[in-house]
Amino acid sequence: MASLEGEAIVLRVVEYGESDLVAHLLMPEIGRLTVIAKHARKSRRRFPGSLDIFNHLTVRISRRRQSDLGFLEQAILRSPFLNLRHGVRHYALASYLVELLDRMAPEAGVAPDMDRLFDFALSALGVIGELEPDLKLRCFMELKAFDALGLRPELEQCVRCGDPPRGPKVGFSVPEGGVLCGVHSLAGGSNLLSVHLGTLRVLRQALIYDLKHLGRLGLSGEALAEASNVVFRFQRFHLGFELKSERFLEESLRGVA
Amino acid sequence: MQRLVESLRRLPGIGEKSATRLAYFLLGAPEDLVGELSEAIGRIKSETAICERCFNLGERSPCKICSQPGRNQSILCVVEEPADLAAIEQSQSFQGLYHVLGGALSPIDGMGPENLRIKELVARVRAGQVEEVILATNPNAEGDATAHYAAECLAPAGVKVTRIAYGMPLGGDLEYADHVTVGRSLENRQLVQ
Ligand SMILES: [Zn+2]
Ligand SMILES: [Zn+2]
Repeated sequence: MASLEGEAIVLRVVEYGESDLVAHLLMPEIGRLTVIAKHARKSRRRFPGSLDIFNHLTVRISRRRQSDLGFLEQAILRSPFLNLRHGVRHYALASYLVELLDRMAPEAGVAPDMDRLFDFALSALGVIGELEPDLKLRCFMELKAFDALGLRPELEQCVRCGDPPRGPKVGFSVPEGGVLCGVHSLAGGSNLLSVHLGTLRVLRQALIYDLKHLGRLGLSGEALAEASNVVFRFQRFHLGFELKSERFLEESLRGVA
Repeated sequence: MQRLVESLRRLPGIGEKSATRLAYFLLGAPEDLVGELSEAIGRIKSETAICERCFNLGERSPCKICSQPGRNQSILCVVEEPADLAAIEQSQSFQGLYHVLGGALSPIDGMGPENLRIKELVARVRAGQVEEVILATNPNAEGDATAHYAAECLAPAGVKVTRIAYGMPLGGDLEYADHVTVGRSLENRQLVQ
């Protein structure tokens, strides 16, 4: 039995058998880890109030070698991000983000840069609780989530020739993961998404901006629709299916300017 | 035998192994136990009703609680499941009526407001009589979010909306409690009489 101690964010909790819980955790250096918390539903002593979605914990896990299922020995609550429960849009966007990470984060330590993914998730949950979630924040958050997952779309230069995109509008190729220059946009066929250069500029800034300051970036009307479409199609291409929380999020954000 | 195993396997949390074990147990069990079980299963659908007022499970509709005289009609306690209602009834500390939502908001499980009886709750409150709604959903993320959502929906009706308190459990130990519970217990402290 190897022991593992560190920080974790709870992505999902499922009841298991009579008295156990299975939790999906996101941990720095490791990525996504599935753990079983024995007797967690009967004895609240070892995990008091701590195995709940969004919770930031300090955990101690024991793991048999070769098996990626860990046993949660202890979990201490650091922050429950209570703000996320206190507004339906906050709850909807945080649930969506956590579901996306649960589906896309690499399992148990096979990928590099898990520290960055964890830092992103931790500050995203904090920021969602503090800002007023709307379509713009959803679009930026999702883009930054893909970036943190190592799937940053190419927004600077043509994915085929490296030329910078020019003109009022260019094409975005979802399967190629980025923008095309004028020449390649013309040759690119009908599957390209059309994007204004101004929209691309805002998305590029969103990738650089600190999460806390995303509210300062302006994006509305046609540009917001364009940007949302690019991010949405990019998500579907990489994920392949609709997230369960997607509809709830869309309904919650409907009519929010 | 094969048919029984197949049927048992369709129950939640029962796999092939458990189903086979249960089937063998029933095969060797006394006649009256098997008879009692099959009769109870046969009657569950025809003899269990969902209360048209509070959505509690019972033998008839309206349920025992809704039709009990002397219940305070002006105070409504909102819970997630019938089991939560039963727990509050057991405490004998509540004399009002209930409203069972049928779960809590959980977007990652596809549980949205349309899956809960929130519209019905608002309609009940709007119909008059109710002066206070106590939100007694579980004090976890789903339950808290559901309570806030319900409170938002109830706001236009102008009714008093309260939330059950957080605190230390009986027999609890401060040393092992999470800091949020400890904090809330201090906020919700009471005068010692
Ligand atoms: Zn090109
Ligand atoms: Zn009833």
